[in-house]
Amino acid sequence: MTNSTIFNFESRNAMNDDRKTILEMLAAGRITADEAERLLAALESSPANSATESSPPAPGDAAARRAIKPKYLRVLVEADEHTIGFKGGPTTVNVRVPMQLLRAGVRLAGLIPAQAHDQVDRAFTQHGVPITLSQIKPENLEELIDHLGDLTVDVDGKDENKTRVRVFCE
Amino acid sequence: MIPWSAFIYVEWWTRSRRNRCFSLWIPLFLAWLLLLPLVLVLFPVVALVCLFVRVNALRLYAAAWGILTSLRKTRVEVRAPAARVLVSIA
Repeated sequence: MTNSTIFNFESRNAMNDDRKTILEMLAAGRITADEAERLLAALESSPANSATESSPPAPGDAAARRAIKPKYLRVLVEADEHTIGFKGGPTTVNVRVPMQLLRAGVRLAGLIPAQAHDQVDRAFTQHGVPITLSQIKPENLEELIDHLGDLTVDVDGKDENKTRVRVFCE
Repeated sequence: MIPWSAFIYVEWWTRSRRNRCFSLWIPLFLAWLLLLPLVLVLFPVVALVCLFVRVNALRLYAAAWGILTSLRKTRVEVRAPAARVLVSIA
């Protein structure tokens, strides 16, 4: 059995587990059918991406990925009642932001006067986001937004904290 | 294209387990019409302020227009055990 076969088998198992979790959440009424459908679609698209990354890229792949640009940034947060303090079930937040809005926001951030950069950088660093605004130049913006398309962030809480955060593009 | 309408939906459950809800459709195109004279008045003022703080006014207008036009299809939904809020811009 080759490494790639083992990898595919393991990823398929992980996918089945995730699919099962989504279906269980749907059955328990914690998510709607619409949300379940979107999660399943996202699940199906993610192994395809990882498979593309693990295998040597075909000449047309990069062009195809660039051609299919994500339209929305999705943020899904699911917090259990112990974390939030509301009794009766989990609290979910579902945000859909058009990528175009991010692009416009970054452009607006580019208009911050140079003399204000230090203050903004300091405020970002104090809040745990070490960003140097002067490093973000207009020519880098498109690249930054394009790379957001490959972004997927999954955060699962530990032990009793069952908060789940999922950030992805679609 | 600028957003034409916004939709707000709020649903909550009372202590007697009865659910109440209200939905509000906001015709944003009417708001734009009302705000247009104000925007026209503010244009030169903003240009002057930009001159003072050394920011390119045209780039600022373009960025503000970009944000306005890209607000469409933004959707925020929060579901708590006792309430649900949905804000959608179309």
